[in-house]
Amino acid sequence: MNQIPIRHKWEPYLWLLPSILLMGIFVVYPICIVFQLSFSEISRSGVVGQFNGLSNYITAVTAPEFGTVMLNTVFWVVSVVGISTLLGIVAALLLNAEFHGRKIARSIMVFPWATTLVVQASVWKYIINYEYGALNNTLLNLGMLTQSVNWRSTYVIDFVWECGIGIFVTVPFVTFCVLAGLQSIDDSYYEAATVDGAGFGQKLRHLTLPLVRPSLTVSTVLNIIYVFNSFPIIYTITRGAPAHKTDTLVTYLYMLAFSEQRKGPATALSVVGFLILCVCAGVYMILTMRKEGDE
Amino acid sequence: MTPKRLNQRAMLCALLCMVLSAVLVSLPIYHFEANVYTKRSGNTFTGDERYLAARAEVDALAADYRARGIETEIHEEVIERLNSKGDKTSLIIFTVSKEVLCSGWDFLKAGFPSARWLIAMLALEALALLCGALGCAGSLNSPWRNVKGSPRMLRRLAIALALAACVAAVVFALYTNVIIHRQISLYAAGVASSPGDRILTAADALIYQGAGGADTAQLLKSTVSSVLPQWWLQLPVLCGMALCLVLVRDGQVARGVTRGLLYASVIVMCVIILYPFVIMFTSAFRTDAEATDVNFQYLFPVRWMWENLSYILGRGVLRYLLNSLILSAGATCLALLCGIPAAYAMARMRFKGRRLFMGFVIMSQMFSPVVLLVGISRLMINLNMNDTLAGLVFVNAAFNQAFAIWLLRGTFVSISPEMEQAACIDGCNSVTALTRVLLPMAAPGIVTTLIFVFINSWNEYTISTVLINSDINRPITVGLTQFAAFSMIQWNYLFASSLLATIPVVILFMLIEKHLVSGLTSGGVKG
Repeated sequence: MNQIPIRHKWEPYLWLLPSILLMGIFVVYPICIVFQLSFSEISRSGVVGQFNGLSNYITAVTAPEFGTVMLNTVFWVVSVVGISTLLGIVAALLLNAEFHGRKIARSIMVFPWATTLVVQASVWKYIINYEYGALNNTLLNLGMLTQSVNWRSTYVIDFVWECGIGIFVTVPFVTFCVLAGLQSIDDSYYEAATVDGAGFGQKLRHLTLPLVRPSLTVSTVLNIIYVFNSFPIIYTITRGAPAHKTDTLVTYLYMLAFSEQRKGPATALSVVGFLILCVCAGVYMILTMRKEGDE
Repeated sequence: MTPKRLNQRAMLCALLCMVLSAVLVSLPIYHFEANVYTKRSGNTFTGDERYLAARAEVDALAADYRARGIETEIHEEVIERLNSKGDKTSLIIFTVSKEVLCSGWDFLKAGFPSARWLIAMLALEALALLCGALGCAGSLNSPWRNVKGSPRMLRRLAIALALAACVAAVVFALYTNVIIHRQISLYAAGVASSPGDRILTAADALIYQGAGGADTAQLLKSTVSSVLPQWWLQLPVLCGMALCLVLVRDGQVARGVTRGLLYASVIVMCVIILYPFVIMFTSAFRTDAEATDVNFQYLFPVRWMWENLSYILGRGVLRYLLNSLILSAGATCLALLCGIPAAYAMARMRFKGRRLFMGFVIMSQMFSPVVLLVGISRLMINLNMNDTLAGLVFVNAAFNQAFAIWLLRGTFVSISPEMEQAACIDGCNSVTALTRVLLPMAAPGIVTTLIFVFINSWNEYTISTVLINSDINRPITVGLTQFAAFSMIQWNYLFASSLLATIPVVILFMLIEKHLVSGLTSGGVKG
C-alpha cells in the first residue's frame, strides 16, 4: 500500500487541476486549432475563411515537392535513429568498461547532448565550409590534404552531412540510456557466463543485448520522435535549399507556414505530422504501460 | 609474476622503444621535392628550335644553381596534342627541381624548430631506460637494492616516460608537417611572418645545405615544396611500443591488447566529440579576418580577442541572456508548480481516470511544439501574448509538463510513503504531508527535474523564432542568429555568443547526468 488517505472524492482532481489547465490550454487547444484550421480556407494574410473540406490536404499532398520531402523525412529518421543507436551501443559498452578517466569521458559525452541544436548546427556549418572551414584547415595543417576539398558540392551531400550532424547530437542520448541499462545488470550473470566459458561475443549477444533491450526500446522510440521533430539542424545548414530538396516534413511545414505564408497546406501537413507522432506515441505508451503492468 | 621479471620487462621495453625510435629517426622517410623553376615550352616539336631554346635556358639556370652549390635535376614532362592542321605537337614542361630524402637526424642537424621534440623524445626514452634499469637493479640482490624509490614505482615511472616519448614522436612528426606544409608556404606567399626567419634558415640548411643563404626566401618563394613526411609509418610502430608497455603493466597478452584498444577507442571518441567545441572556442576569439581566411588559421588565435565578448555583450547579447534566464526560470517554476501536485496525486492517490491521465502524460511527452507551431502562434495571438516572454514561459512550461510529471512521479514512487502515512495519522492533511514530509526527501529528484526543464527551455529555439518578433524579447538561441544572416555570417561573434549560451548548460547537464538517465529509463516505471 503506497497510498495516503483521501478526504474527498474530488481531492485528487484538485491536485491535477493546474497541470491539466496548463496542458489543456497550451498543448491540447493548439492541437484543436490546427485540426480546425486544416479544414478551413486561410488567406495569405492569415484570415480564416469557411470550411473547405479536404482541399488543404489535397493541395499539400499534390505539391511537387511533397514526395521528396516525405522521402527525406523517412531517410532522415531511419538513418539518424538507426546509426546513432548502433554507435550509442558501442559507446555505452566502451564507457561501461573500467578504465582511468572514465568519469571525464562520460562528462565529455554529455557535451553534444547539452548544447542547443542551433549552436551545434552553426559550428558544423563553419567546419564544413569550403573556403575557410575548420575541417579543411585541420586536414591541411596535418598534411592529410594538399588542397581544400569542397565538402558540400551537391545537395545530396549536404543532406548526408545534416544526417551526420543529427547522428552526432543523438548518440549521447542513446549512450546514456544504454549505460543506465548496463549498470543495472548484475555482475553475477557475467561471472556465471565466464565460468561456463562464454566468449565476449557470446556474452554480448546472449546476455548484454537482451538485458538492455528495455532501455534500448525506450530510447529508440523517444529518438524516433525527437529526430522526426528536429528542426534547427536542417534549418540552419540548408534551409531546405535548393527548392525543398533537403527539407524534412517539419522544416517544410515551417517554410510553408512562415516564409511562404501558405498556412492552409501547412496546417494540413501539421495534422499529418501530428498523426504520425500519435502512432509513435501510442506505441511508446503501450510499451511503457505494459512494462508498468508487469511489475 | 615476480617484481624482478616485471622490472626486467620494463627495462626491455624501454630499450626496445629506444632502439625502435632510433631506427625510425634514422630512416630517410621524409621526402622533399623542391621545384625551383618551371618553364613551359609553348607549342613545339620535341627537338626543334623552340624546344632547344627553352632547354638551353633551363640548362643555364641549373648550371647557375650548381655554381652556387645547389645540385638540381631537370625533368621534362611531355604532353602531346593535335593542332588545327592535325599535326601532333607537344607542350613540354621543364622542371628544375631538387629532391631531398632526409631522416630525423637531418632535422636535428638543420636546427629545425620541430627537432626540439626529437630531443625531448630521446631524453624521455633515456630516462625511461634509466628508471627501468634502476628498478631492475632494485629488485635484485645487489647494493642497488637500497636505492631510493621502490622497484614498482620505478617500473611505473619507466612506463610513463616511455609513453610520453611515444607522444613526443607523434608531435615531432605532426609539427614538422605543419612547418613544411603550412608555415613555409605561407611565409613564401608573404602571408605569415611570425617565426619566419628561423624556419627559413632551418629549411635552407635542410634542403640546400645552407647554399641558399640570403636568397633563401627568394628561392623558397618560387619553390613548391612537396613534402611527404610519411608519419603514418610511425603509427604502427608507436602502437607496438604502447602495447609493449601496457603488457608490462598487466602481464597478460589478451588483457593488454584489449586495454590498449579500449583506451585508443575512448581517446578517438573524445577527440571527435570535442572537435566542434574546440573549433567553437578558438574561433570565438579570432578576428573576423582570421576566422574567414584559411591562410591565417593556426590552432589557436594569433591574438586572443577578448574584446569579442564585450562587443557581443554590447550588441544585445546580455539582454538575450537575461531573457533566456527569465524565460527558463519562469518556465521551470511554472512547470514544477503545476507538476509537483499532479505527480503527487499520481504517485500517492488512487482515483478514477488515473490510468487515463497517465496515458495522456506519456503521450504528450511526444507532442513537439514544432508540429503545432501554427496552432500555437494563433493561440498566442488570441491570448494577446504574441511576442511576449510570458507566452514563451507558458508554452515551454506546458510542453515540459509531461516530462516533469513523469520524472517527479518516479521520484515520489521510489520514496516509501510510511512517513507521510504516519504524518497523516498525526493529523497532517495531504498538503502538509507533501510540503513538510515528501518534498524534503525528494529534493534530489526535484533538482534533476528542475535542471532538466531549465535546460530544455534554455535550448528551445523553434517556438521562439516564431513567437518573438521584437529584438528586445529575444532569448539567446534566437538572438545569436543575428550574427548569422544567411549571406553574411560573423562567425567570431556568433561563436562568442554561442559560447556564452552553451557553458552554463553544459555545466548544469554534467551535474545531473547520472540522475537524469535513471529517471529517463526507469524512474517512471517503478510502481
